Amino acid sequence: MKSPDCASPHLRIVVVNPATTPGAERDAALAEQARRSAALRIGLLESGYDLIASLPADVFLPERIAQLQPDMIIVDSESDARDVLEHIVIATRDARRPIVLFTEDDAPASMDAALEAGVSAYIVAGLRAERVKPVLDVALARFRREQKLLEELQGTRQKLAERKIVDRAKGLLMTRYRLSEDQAYQRLRSMAMNKNLKLAEVAQRLIDVEDLLA
Amino acid sequence: MAGIGNGSGGAWIAGSDKPERTSVRVGFMPLADCAPVVMASVLGFDEKYGIRFELSRELSWTGMRDRLVSGDIDAAHVLYGLLYGLQMGIGTRARQMAVLMNLNRNGQGITLSRALAAKAQDAAALARLVRAGALRPTFGHTFPTGNHAMFLYYWLAAAGIDPLADCKVVTVPPVQMASSLAAGHMDGFCVGEPWGQRAVRDGAAGLSISSEEIWPDHPGKVLGTSAAFVAANPNTCRAMVAALLDAARWLDASRTNREAAAEVLASPGYVNAGRELLQYCLAGRAGSRTGAGAWRGLNGLHFFDDGEASFPWLSDGMWFLTQQRRWGLLHDDPPYGAVAREVNRIDLYRDGAAMAGVPVPGSPMRSSTLLDGRVWNGRDPDGQAASFRRAA
Repeated sequence: MKSPDCASPHLRIVVVNPATTPGAERDAALAEQARRSAALRIGLLESGYDLIASLPADVFLPERIAQLQPDMIIVDSESDARDVLEHIVIATRDARRPIVLFTEDDAPASMDAALEAGVSAYIVAGLRAERVKPVLDVALARFRREQKLLEELQGTRQKLAERKIVDRAKGLLMTRYRLSEDQAYQRLRSMAMNKNLKLAEVAQRLIDVEDLLA
Repeated sequence: MAGIGNGSGGAWIAGSDKPERTSVRVGFMPLADCAPVVMASVLGFDEKYGIRFELSRELSWTGMRDRLVSGDIDAAHVLYGLLYGLQMGIGTRARQMAVLMNLNRNGQGITLSRALAAKAQDAAALARLVRAGALRPTFGHTFPTGNHAMFLYYWLAAAGIDPLADCKVVTVPPVQMASSLAAGHMDGFCVGEPWGQRAVRDGAAGLSISSEEIWPDHPGKVLGTSAAFVAANPNTCRAMVAALLDAARWLDASRTNREAAAEVLASPGYVNAGRELLQYCLAGRAGSRTGAGAWRGLNGLHFFDDGEASFPWLSDGMWFLTQQRRWGLLHDDPPYGAVAREVNRIDLYRDGAAMAGVPVPGSPMRSSTLLDGRVWNGRDPDGQAASFRRAA
């Protein structure tokens, strides 16, 4: 996360637009989605947001998003750009970022559905500056909260796994050198300090060597 | 779900068969295979069964999915694989969904660019190039869990190409496929007609493979809805099935009907593509069967087969699960049969078929032979899923 706080104008935002298709101007629905998309960009710029890019939803979108690492992605809920973005959502299921849907259709039902589906927020009905900021603030706060919970869960799992490794290494030292548990732990600790490694890393090396020789 | 439809006789409690809803919002994507939904509305088959289709032209599958979940639309002409992906919670929260019937067979295709086709005239030649490290092709499909992704991956893997390791795959809106190919941004794609034919007409396509070459008479879009809508509106669901069966029967009955459908679909409110392009997809050739279910598009697109094309075969639903498992979209083996029995509402289909006077197959499974010679009959989904190894 590059933005330190909720000072929204410093959010690094990417807007995803429908790619221009030859003949689209003849299709009223495609022309309308292009118009909405332009209105969205103008609204965000007028509100003082940092649009680091406005990207077409084409073959290159996944790479560009990976390069730019935006804090937030905004897309029109009614646009065909959403399928290109959905590909990225599924492909990067483990490294998510907030996605904000923008729509002019004042439909709370779809808003609930989108939020439940994992979208962070929904901007409804136009892009008046006074409405955009609170919505984006809420979106980012919500995303960070979920992200923090996920990280805490991963941290707990990691700690548990490390503890198991250290316990096994202690066991090895205890049987091989007839040490008490406390002595084994002290031995591991001094090895870790001498080699400037984490306790779990030293323990893992010990286990690897043991496996190799066994 | 117990208590609605009695499963055996095609009968339901007399006097309570009036549709709960007079108006049903049905989403569709601008593709040749949306014909049953559009023609049921245009020709009034819906009103014959006491309902009125309010059609909603959608621009993205993701948007359609969200609108189905939220109830903005009641039912949709939707990718078989997307509906199962939603049921399993792939990339989104899992929802109880329902397949009321299959809407089409065939009528999709894989298209290779002229540049790629100049180097590789078939899948085997492509595989040699990829294995030699001479090529890392980019392929487009329409939705990560959808039919086109699964057919594309199947075709590549059958030749020994791992679509996820050896290729770059991206999702691209159908209307952009032909122009992305022409611009050299992609080497090939898999999409529903008429967008493959569009690339052929534009001169961007070097090779096109009809989807029926991968799986003859494969399932296509389904009439999808949520389990909650089914529970609240079972009679409306039966009426939708009956109306769409009438439309499917009408579409396959004659070349004249197919040409009329192409005319209607060409308009900006529906597919918004050339009439002649849609004629190719809809009114191409006579099928092998006689009588009803006789007419096909040149790409094999058909809708009826005396109801066999419409029946929600459990084996068809399970196939998508085995492929989603194969490509890591599902992390574990689901209870294949149980999921398909829950999603595919054969009970309601049977009632709707009785209303439309359409025969129902005796078994919920069918047997198909795919291009790699594998027989898929739904009997051993766990074994089949396990037998797929990612190509090296």
